[in-house]
Amino acid sequence: MEQDNQNNQTSANSVPEWMLDLDRVGFVRKLFISRKWYGGDWWFVAISAVLLLFIILVGVFPQWFAPYDPKAEVGPSLLAPRELPPGYSLIAPKSAGELKLEDAVARGSTLGFVYGSPASQALREITTQMNNEAQEQGSKTRYQPRLSRFETVEEGLEAVLSGKINGFIASPAELGESLEKYPDLAIAIDLRGEAAKGFLMGTNQIGQDVFSRIIWGTRIALIVGLSSAIVSFLIGVPLGLISGFVGGPFDRVLTLLMDSLYSFPGLILAISIAAVLGAGIGNIIVAIAALYIPTYFRIVRGQTLQVKEELYVEAARSLGATPLKILVKYIFPNVIPSVVIIFSVNVGDAILTEAGLSFLGFGLPPDTPDWGIDLARGQDYLRRAWWLITYPGLMVTTVTLAFSMLGESLSEILNPRLAEL
Amino acid sequence: MSSSLRRFLITRLLLTIPMVLILITVIFFVMRVLPGDPIRSQLGPRVSEEQADRLRERLGLNRPLHIQYVTFVKDMFTLNFGTALTQGERPIKDELAEKMPATMELTIPAMTITALIGILSGSYAAKNRKKPVDYAIRLISIIFYSIPVFFLGLIFQILFSVRIPIFPLAGRMDTLMMTSFKSITNFYVIDAILTQNWPALGSVLLHLVMPSVTLGLVLSGVFVRLTRVNMIEMLKSDFITAGRARGLPEDRLVYKHALRNTFIPIMTLIGLEFAILLAGAVLTETTFSWPGMGRYLVERIQLRDYTAVQASIGVFAFFVAIITLVMDVLYAFIDPRIRY
Repeated sequence: MEQDNQNNQTSANSVPEWMLDLDRVGFVRKLFISRKWYGGDWWFVAISAVLLLFIILVGVFPQWFAPYDPKAEVGPSLLAPRELPPGYSLIAPKSAGELKLEDAVARGSTLGFVYGSPASQALREITTQMNNEAQEQGSKTRYQPRLSRFETVEEGLEAVLSGKINGFIASPAELGESLEKYPDLAIAIDLRGEAAKGFLMGTNQIGQDVFSRIIWGTRIALIVGLSSAIVSFLIGVPLGLISGFVGGPFDRVLTLLMDSLYSFPGLILAISIAAVLGAGIGNIIVAIAALYIPTYFRIVRGQTLQVKEELYVEAARSLGATPLKILVKYIFPNVIPSVVIIFSVNVGDAILTEAGLSFLGFGLPPDTPDWGIDLARGQDYLRRAWWLITYPGLMVTTVTLAFSMLGESLSEILNPRLAEL
Repeated sequence: MSSSLRRFLITRLLLTIPMVLILITVIFFVMRVLPGDPIRSQLGPRVSEEQADRLRERLGLNRPLHIQYVTFVKDMFTLNFGTALTQGERPIKDELAEKMPATMELTIPAMTITALIGILSGSYAAKNRKKPVDYAIRLISIIFYSIPVFFLGLIFQILFSVRIPIFPLAGRMDTLMMTSFKSITNFYVIDAILTQNWPALGSVLLHLVMPSVTLGLVLSGVFVRLTRVNMIEMLKSDFITAGRARGLPEDRLVYKHALRNTFIPIMTLIGLEFAILLAGAVLTETTFSWPGMGRYLVERIQLRDYTAVQASIGVFAFFVAIITLVMDVLYAFIDPRIRY
């Protein structure tokens, strides 16, 4: 009581007008009004909100962003980011116009190579495949170009220019800069197929596209993070409200239970639950949700204890409001701000924990496009392929960062103990 | 020792028992009541039902649940863990006695790094609240908080072990030195000093750098934030205002007067952080192949070694309970206000 009096006195004397204004408005409007006085934190909230919106968009519609199927083998294994896959270009005179692959490898056409180039092997594979397809369709066309070998790339290109051969096939490495010397020649056909442009973030050891995998991983992370946070919220908040409101032995036992769980290393608890339940997204959600129930419980219970002594609660009770009504209508609104903060931090933490669980191998089925799984796989290729761990790791960090930054700056804005300074 | 302090110590000690009991009950619940047959998963599908029954009988899993529970609690409190089911079937107590020092050798330097970074930058940020440097420190601390500890570890491995080979990639010491190394306490640093094996000491310390820095940096994220908030509150208190009025230099006020008083809340934070520290240690040990408790637990879960798993989780529970107890008792010694 003494403290209250002091506070009232100071607020009458020195507290600026805006702070009194703040006392009269609701939670959301408080946020907007307070931005003027908490410049930096307002920026933190704004940046993380934009980031979160984008992350949620990616998580809901991964197919808009991912160029490939995350589970499909789309290129050679362990290709560095933007590295061109070993492919081959068919070079022909520009005057020949648009060249079709079928015409280029038809019988009677002549194609050139450098001696010992693996390109001839690649061409043989391509023509065999085309012949097989043609046979299946019942057509009698046979693709069998004549092959002609040259000492150097330049000789071959001269031959194309002079019309002795119809085209010249070489890998980008063999070709080097030499094509620039012949302005009349151009790459007519890319024998590399789809993977010609290389991969933005490289490929993993099975030849899957790292970029597509981390995009689809966003969905898994958001599903696990949000649903486990909602589950802990739905259990922890009512328990905290009731425990704080009812008090007595029920409260004491529950508090002891929650405090013990809270002090125990969450990841270890989650590992054991996940190990017993087995792999699967539902089990992971259960295991992670169990960790954060005590956090909600502790905060909500503490605030309920404070609020239930307030005069307006007393007034409501004396007017005959039922305990349920008092809880829902008078006490619950008071805990909303701190619950919002915990929820935001909780989602970030849950995503972090999920990545940890999958990293240790206790999470999802091994083929799932998941950041933790990708990180664990990448660990085996640490010396050869930095991109396998860097990109999934950065994704976990970014998403967790967005959620924690939102929670942290909200608490800075809404925490009354800090606001008085 | 005053009577109020004695009463506090006794009550606090008694409170530890239900706490440990609850944790052991949770472990029991997870291991036996949740669906999933540990014996079947251990033996595999090809082993006959008869053999499975024999193992069940050996472990007492065929008895009624409540009797199992009583035996389990008794075994845990008397540290009677039995023998492991896999990897040589050694007594679990011996195995844990080897692993526990390794974990402590990793976590103690990590905690020191965390406390140093946390206290220094936390109070510096509090002193400069709402200035750019405050926002910068906070942003960096949130970033460190958000980095998965194993990711930071892998990045360090790529940078300082693969690209620029300064530090060894993993393990506790060079394998070549292992043969001539005599271990007494299983704390390799202490062992190396005791046996005056200086090259081994160098190797052990070199191996310790990356794991402990990784763990320490990630944990400092939370620590900076908590120190900062406590420090801001402390700087609002009357004695600081009084000191300021007397014309004491601001630095002295912040780093001496206020900081000394924040040590009490900070100590509780260290106690609370302990859970995060152990969770981080599990991941760090796995990343750096550090033969400690965490890696042991993960390995044994993967091997479905049921007795080893429940024993090591139980030891983690004891560990947590003891640290919480020690922190609370220290707290009571320093600050007379909190005694019951």
